[in-house]
Amino acid sequence: MPVLGHVGSDYERLRPDFKVIKDPYSGRDIMVVPPIAPEVSIIHAIAADEEGNLLLEEKEDDFLLAPASRVVLASAERIVSADEIRRMPYGLRVQGIHVTAVVHLPGGAHPTAAHDRYPLDEPHLREYIEAAHADSTFKPYLDRYVFGPKDHAAYLELVKLRP
Amino acid sequence: MTAADWTTEEFMAAVMAREVRDGEQTAVGTISPIPASAALLAYFTHAPRVKPIIINSEDWWPFRGGSKEFYDFAQKGRLDLFFLSGGQIDCHGNLNTIAIGSPEAPRLRLPGGAGSAMLYYTPKRIVVFRADHSPAIFTERVDVVNAPGSTPPAVVRPGGPRKVITSLCVFRFDPDAKALRLESIHPGVSPEDLQSRTGFPVEASSATPITPAPTPEQLGILRGRVRPEVAKVYPVFARSAFRAA
Repeated sequence: MPVLGHVGSDYERLRPDFKVIKDPYSGRDIMVVPPIAPEVSIIHAIAADEEGNLLLEEKEDDFLLAPASRVVLASAERIVSADEIRRMPYGLRVQGIHVTAVVHLPGGAHPTAAHDRYPLDEPHLREYIEAAHADSTFKPYLDRYVFGPKDHAAYLELVKLRP
Repeated sequence: MTAADWTTEEFMAAVMAREVRDGEQTAVGTISPIPASAALLAYFTHAPRVKPIIINSEDWWPFRGGSKEFYDFAQKGRLDLFFLSGGQIDCHGNLNTIAIGSPEAPRLRLPGGAGSAMLYYTPKRIVVFRADHSPAIFTERVDVVNAPGSTPPAVVRPGGPRKVITSLCVFRFDPDAKALRLESIHPGVSPEDLQSRTGFPVEASSATPITPAPTPEQLGILRGRVRPEVAKVYPVFARSAFRAA
């Protein structure tokens, strides 16, 4: 895929998969980059319906990731009817034909935000940043929040989120 | 007025607001609270005709198609003014947001620079900003170049750097010399102090012009109208960057 800029930067040396070619239309130097085509994408949705149609955050590019991926696993704040999802005004739509599986997972975006459901958990992110400075502090973080809770409900209980 | 009458952030926002021209499209990217303040100050004063674009904002973000729609808008050539920064900035206007040290084994890994590798080329004018001015940041040569100050003529590059605005001074980019030239020094900063805090020769002297101070009107609007808007995107910044109205 062509992308403007980049030519003349150290990306030419750091990323051998980024190539400078002559634009066949203008004759100028332009960079092309390989497309990102994931085997599996895991995407959190504002809502999903029973046909696997997704409603995604408008500020993010997950709506591009889904059609580019071989397998799409979606979690969703809400499962609604096809009728209802059509009437929801906010969000980018991904058709169910791109989606492999959907799981109902309210709170699945924590500690980041979910549109109209809960904001960014700033104290938790600060705790994460502090913990991530060293293995000795990050391991207790993982034990407490990732490996500790027996399931998602227990995690939500631990971080006091009621989505 | 003297330096005691404003914060560094207010001063820089007022200086950067002067780069905004009425009728042109200004946009502000991520982690850019001072440029957001500058773009809003300009919009509320001398540049009211076009609303600035501010990423991560509800009210100043006209797109509904992810960041892709914004990047496409930029690549189409619709941005007139954009603001960028770097972990290191050198005397040739090169930016580094990839790594301090070697990129293969960095002393410090920076957030990555593919966004600015495009956005340093496509808007008509880019103003580089950095609120902490030190020799480690303003260096002779950045460790890695993710966004070069200048490029060969065969490269598609409609725009490039015009100014570098810091907490101590303003540089302008000289496209013929492909280098930064000192334009003005902020009030209260001595030429010796600026040189000792810059990693390349700045040619500062007592004849160097002094950067014009914010006007009382600018400070009033920054503290009154700009602050609550900026607080919606940058609440922590807005709590400390502005004096009371």
